[in-house]
Order: sequence, then structure tokens, then C-alpha cells
Amino acid sequence: MLPDIEKSYYKALVALQNDDYVTASGYFKNAENLVAEDDDLRILREATDLLVAVRNEIAELEKSKGNGDR
Amino acid sequence: MNRLEVLKKLETILEQFIAGVLKSETTRIAAHKSIDALDDIARDSLRGRRIHARLGNWLARSDIAHKKDRLTGADIDRIGNLFREIQSGFDPSDPEARKLDNEIRRWRESGVVPKRKLVLKMQTPVPSINTAAGFSELMKQESAYLADESERNPHLLSILDDALKSAAAKDDKMYLHLAGAIVYFLKINGYKVGPYAKRLREIEQARMGVEHVA
Repeated sequence: MLPDIEKSYYKALVALQNDDYVTASGYFKNAENLVAEDDDLRILREATDLLVAVRNEIAELEKSKGNGDR
Repeated sequence: MNRLEVLKKLETILEQFIAGVLKSETTRIAAHKSIDALDDIARDSLRGRRIHARLGNWLARSDIAHKKDRLTGADIDRIGNLFREIQSGFDPSDPEARKLDNEIRRWRESGVVPKRKLVLKMQTPVPSINTAAGFSELMKQESAYLADESERNPHLLSILDDALKSAAAKDDKMYLHLAGAIVYFLKINGYKVGPYAKRLREIEQARMGVEHVA
């Protein structure tokens, strides 16, 4: 069987294909040692994490804007 | 441009960047998905679940013979190892399992996935001067076996699989000890070794049964 770290990496890529960035970020975290060895993967992982953070920030801002409009 | 607009622009840029990376890696990702699906089948097979229909679909869909040039050597090795694990769980009396087994053998014969070499070795007598010397001799034998195996297959899981098969088939305790050592090594390094540990226990119990009868 494949090591869990490789399976996590595969599942992260599938999640990205499905635009499920939060799930992808979680799987990338599980595959941290594998990702750290490959510069391309590291950049992809960091871009994913950043996108998740940006989306969270947007959601917070929109929520506070909505509360302010009321 | 306010903060929200800047963040939305950044969101779009990141989405486009990730989509671009995925597009450039389409072939690699397709191969990974396929291997991941085969690994799921192998895991279910080791849990004793019926996997024939899924494996049949996988073999029909994957068509690795035509995609082989686009797979890395490591990917092909992974597929070969997963096939081996799946085949070890086939019931020879089941016609469907035999058909799938033949299909995998056909892939091996045509060179799509690597063939296994059967290495037969004469059992070396272990001198029983004292326990420490016997253990030291056993370690030397295992070290030589590992060096030999690693030359043709660098994957420890494949070596473990071969050691377990040899432990089941041969009257040489070295294979049993080596398999146990590899299982423990993998375990302390975070690998899930449940199915291998189970096989090892079953072999050990079968051997103990034989020894008790003798």
C-alpha cells in the first residue's frame, strides 16, 4: 500500500481540482514532509494556504459589512 | 481600492495561479488519481472485501500500456507493488479472481509493469555457539539479503512483501525475523502496518503449529 503521506498528497491534488481549497490545505499539511522536498509543490501548497486565508478574511469583512449595513 | 477589493483581486489571482499549475500537471495528476484508486482497492482487498468489479473497471479504464510513456518509473513500481498486494489476496478457486489474476499476469508478461523475480536461496546453517553469536550471524545474513534485494527493488514494502512470502514458503527463520524487523521499523516511522503485521502473525502461528506437530 502507499504510505499515508503519498495518499494525502494525491488527495490534496484531487481536492484542488474540485476547487475545494480548505480540504486541499488539510491534505497538504498531512503531506508536509513530501511537499517540503519539492519546490513546485511547496509553492502550490503555500498558494493554497494563502487563498484559504484570503477567503476567510473576505468572509469576515463581508460579514462585518453586512452587520454594519443593518 | 479598498481592502475588500484588494483581497478579492488577490483571491482571483491565486485561483488562476492554482488552476494554471493544475492544468500544466494534468497528466501527472491523472496518474496520481489512478494510483490512489488502485491503492484504495488494495486496502479493501487486504481488509477482505470483494474488489473484483472495481479492479476490473480500473484495469479497463487505466489502459497503462498506452500511457506508460507518461508514467514515471516510480509510478510503474507503485502500480506493480499494488498489483502484487491485490494478487496475494485472490482466492484461486474463484473464476472471477482467476480472470483478474490472468489479466495482471498479462500486463506483467507484456512488460507494462515489472515482473517479479523468484530468488531461491539455500538455507545457511546458523552456528549455535551462543545466542549473541547466533544473532550476529542472523543480522549478517539479513544484511546480505537486503543488499541483494535493494539492488533490484529499492522499495522496502516490496522487500517486506517478498520476505513474508518467503517466510510462509521456506523453512528459514531469517525471513520471519527480517519481516518482523521491517514491520517494526515501518511502524516506528509512522507507517500503517496492520495488514503486514497480521500476515506475519498468521505465518508465525502456522509455523508454530507445524513445529508443535513435529
